[in-house]
Amino acid sequence: MAEKYTIKVNGIERTVEAETDTLLIDVLREKLDLTGTKRGCDNSTCGSCVVILNGKAVKSCQKKIAQVDGGEVITVEGLSRGKELHPVQKALVEAGAIQCGFCTPGIATELAALFEENPDADEETIMRALNKHLCRCTGYEDIKNGALLAQKLMKDER
Amino acid sequence: MDFKYIGKSLPRPDAISKVTGKAVYLDDIRLPGLLHAAILRPKHAHAKILNIDTGEAERMPGVVKVVTGKGCDLHYGDNIADLTPMAVNKVRYAGEPVAAVIAETLMQANAAVEKIKVEYEELPFYLDAREAMKDDAVLIHEHSEEYWRLPTLKYIPNTNIANYYRLIKGKGEEGFAEAEVVVEGEFNYPFGSSAAIEPHGSIVWFKEDNSIECWSSSICPFIIRQDLAHNYDLPVSDVRVHIPEIGGCFGYKSDITVEQTIAWIASFVPGHPVKWAATRKEDFTSTLTAHGIRTYMKLGAKRNGKLVAIKAKILHSGGAYSDTAVNVTIGATHNSSGPYEYEHCYLEGYTVYTNTTPIGAYRGYGHQESQFATERLMDMLARKLNMDPFQLREMNYLGPGSVNALGECMWKTNGDVHAAAKAVQNAVFSTEKNKEDDKYYYGRGFAALMKSPKGAPFSTKGCYMKMNIDGSVSVNMGGAEVGQGLRTVVKQVAAEALQIPPEKIRVYSEIDTQFSPYEWQTIGSMFTIQGGRAIIRASDKLIAILKKTAAQVLKTDEDYLEYNGEYVYLRNDPSIKVAVKDICRGYITSDGITIGEVAQATADARLPRYSNPDSETGQGSMGVDYTFGAQGAEIRIEKATGKIIVDHFASSFDMGRVINPKQLRSNVLGGVLMAVGATLSEELRYDENGHQGNPHFFKYRIPTLKDIPAKSTTVFIENPGAVGPFGARGIGEHPVIGVAPSILNAIHDAIGVDYYEIPVTSEEIKKALVDRKENA
Ligand code: FES
Ligand code: FES
Repeated sequence: MAEKYTIKVNGIERTVEAETDTLLIDVLREKLDLTGTKRGCDNSTCGSCVVILNGKAVKSCQKKIAQVDGGEVITVEGLSRGKELHPVQKALVEAGAIQCGFCTPGIATELAALFEENPDADEETIMRALNKHLCRCTGYEDIKNGALLAQKLMKDER
Repeated sequence: MDFKYIGKSLPRPDAISKVTGKAVYLDDIRLPGLLHAAILRPKHAHAKILNIDTGEAERMPGVVKVVTGKGCDLHYGDNIADLTPMAVNKVRYAGEPVAAVIAETLMQANAAVEKIKVEYEELPFYLDAREAMKDDAVLIHEHSEEYWRLPTLKYIPNTNIANYYRLIKGKGEEGFAEAEVVVEGEFNYPFGSSAAIEPHGSIVWFKEDNSIECWSSSICPFIIRQDLAHNYDLPVSDVRVHIPEIGGCFGYKSDITVEQTIAWIASFVPGHPVKWAATRKEDFTSTLTAHGIRTYMKLGAKRNGKLVAIKAKILHSGGAYSDTAVNVTIGATHNSSGPYEYEHCYLEGYTVYTNTTPIGAYRGYGHQESQFATERLMDMLARKLNMDPFQLREMNYLGPGSVNALGECMWKTNGDVHAAAKAVQNAVFSTEKNKEDDKYYYGRGFAALMKSPKGAPFSTKGCYMKMNIDGSVSVNMGGAEVGQGLRTVVKQVAAEALQIPPEKIRVYSEIDTQFSPYEWQTIGSMFTIQGGRAIIRASDKLIAILKKTAAQVLKTDEDYLEYNGEYVYLRNDPSIKVAVKDICRGYITSDGITIGEVAQATADARLPRYSNPDSETGQGSMGVDYTFGAQGAEIRIEKATGKIIVDHFASSFDMGRVINPKQLRSNVLGGVLMAVGATLSEELRYDENGHQGNPHFFKYRIPTLKDIPAKSTTVFIENPGAVGPFGARGIGEHPVIGVAPSILNAIHDAIGVDYYEIPVTSEEIKKALVDRKENA
């Protein structure tokens, strides 16, 4: 049954009509054309679709629209302000953490949520957050360095 | 040689569009009137199709058309035209397209596809080449003699052998008469998947004006263009193929595969673009898979360690269609001799039809599978001869003046394997090995390697270069950026060749066959070599145009002029000069007369003197440009669990010339980890019904962050090559080649057990440890 749902996406209130079990990833990609959120698997194992939901990094393929009604979502498109990149984005670029880039949006949103909530996250917490993300290109060293740099940049900005 | 822009770690031109989520990948494309396809896969791995009932599916909501293979007489394939877009009378593997639904939304297409009913008559199926080669095996392709194939290929009639390739050097097998010591073994590199994080997919649009437009997550737009034009009887120029951003390739998005299937489906709804993006499961089951290579190898040596003969038999379970596997087999065969010289070689490669997903390119293209055998056997030979394994290898490395299996002579410009081996030896073996303790066994292993490109006649790469009126330059090429960083290489090579700062060089961001220069396919780690060479050639032409114009302006001879990126000036008096930006669209005199021409150039480059193999010996100039390297692993094995932990992994390659050190290291680390995955956990398994048993990431475990080696060493040697720009060589595939043998050699060093097959899992190690205790 199609219903109306309202979610705040990247600061703007959006109302969409969708079946109750439509996944958040499909709402974002298909209804709102926010294609920065990527789909890399069928059963919530790759992390490419991570967005920030009410301040927490979540897999958007794991949430049904009915579960997130009234919530606030930030996608990768919502991280930068015009040409000004989010510190996490700056750090990932600077560290060379981007090759094909398909895993990048999920990692960027993951780290933005993590450091927003826990600026002093220890290395183990950071590694645990990154460990849910599959990257087939980089071998992760640059991603790890990018995460550490991101933490530093975010602290410096405070 | 002093470089301004080569050897610097410039940032990637595409990083920002990717990190902001704005880079457009296949599934992100929106088009007017776009319809969605879902594809039905068969219940059986090998069966006749008796009947397909599409009635119920057709009546489902949103359905525009249901498509089957009925009446399809299209065949395609660039090596062996054994592929069809959709199964016609039979299915040959469990991931094959049997029927499809086109609907308004993907959800509707998925719902309807389940309503298609198919009746099958099952046939015996074979998941392994050894089974399919038995005398009484039924034929997977009954009429393989009717398929078009390259004249260099040889099938064996009335068998499942799709191709047989043989290479003989010296006395071949008889060369073993000269050997005093022999080692042999059977090694297996099982099925795997490239498993890029972006699944494969395509969009095809049959247009009302009788042209075709296609988008694909592919690295070979020009092959797609040519093959679609051929199948649908159009001039090649009426097919337009776009390549959006690609979310990783590693091989399997090469050649033409899914595009033909989507084209067949889309041909039923002209006027509408039709999109299909693989699910993760389909990406495993129904796009190209990898490896499936069993290597029987025998090495013969003198008692002093000098190698004399090698024999290898490669059995390749090539999958249900062999077009994309056959060259992997051939590559695995002629590269099985690795970085060593043998006077006598007898190397055979069988590409065999099996009822498994077709095998195609995977990073390494046959090298890692057969050199896995070579490098395991070199360690075994050293043990048998009671020799130091490094010394044994040292004695036999290919180097200037030696001749490889293919009969190609090696030159200094092919690089130095000794130097790479030394670098790894220093990094991994220069300290005392850790002593066994309560919790762990420790081991170290080494492998040397050789990589050749996999060319083909006319495997060229083109470059269009134009200078804009402010002296900035736009470079347009057909090479596919899959994450390897090719755009950065283009920028740096063009900057160096034109002596223009990289900020003033704009590199193309997408490929469109309507505008892009021809490129064969972006494969074989060849872009830097050939593409870079094309950039240099185009730059030289462009500079010549500037000089020609400047000669008129400065009233002198062209060859009396110098160019430095900013000015063209007199050789003896640099104060007599004209600015490049004043002549790049011709020079406009004060009275408004324009002289000279616009500074723009085109060029292409291929592997010089690449040739087909000789039909008798299988030898030929099929490598042309070689890269040598070495890798080494330091591992720990947890006694309680059998878990293998890679503590340190070192890689060294003779890169000829390092273009971007940061990017190079990243590429190597990515490749190493991918091969660590293949060595320790990844394997595509088929169940008793011939279906893939683990087509999902939670069952097909690719490495995560916690699997990375605690320490990674990379050392790059620079003996300039003769072909690539400024002497540079490619690196894309090389890092995967020596990983499995390094780790398996290290396992032997740690616990004294020889493994011949990967993946070596903790369960297997644990079992070996228990067995060892019981036997002790
Ligand atoms: S798409 Fe893979 S975790 Fe959501
Ligand atoms: S950069 Fe390609 S998957 Fe991470």
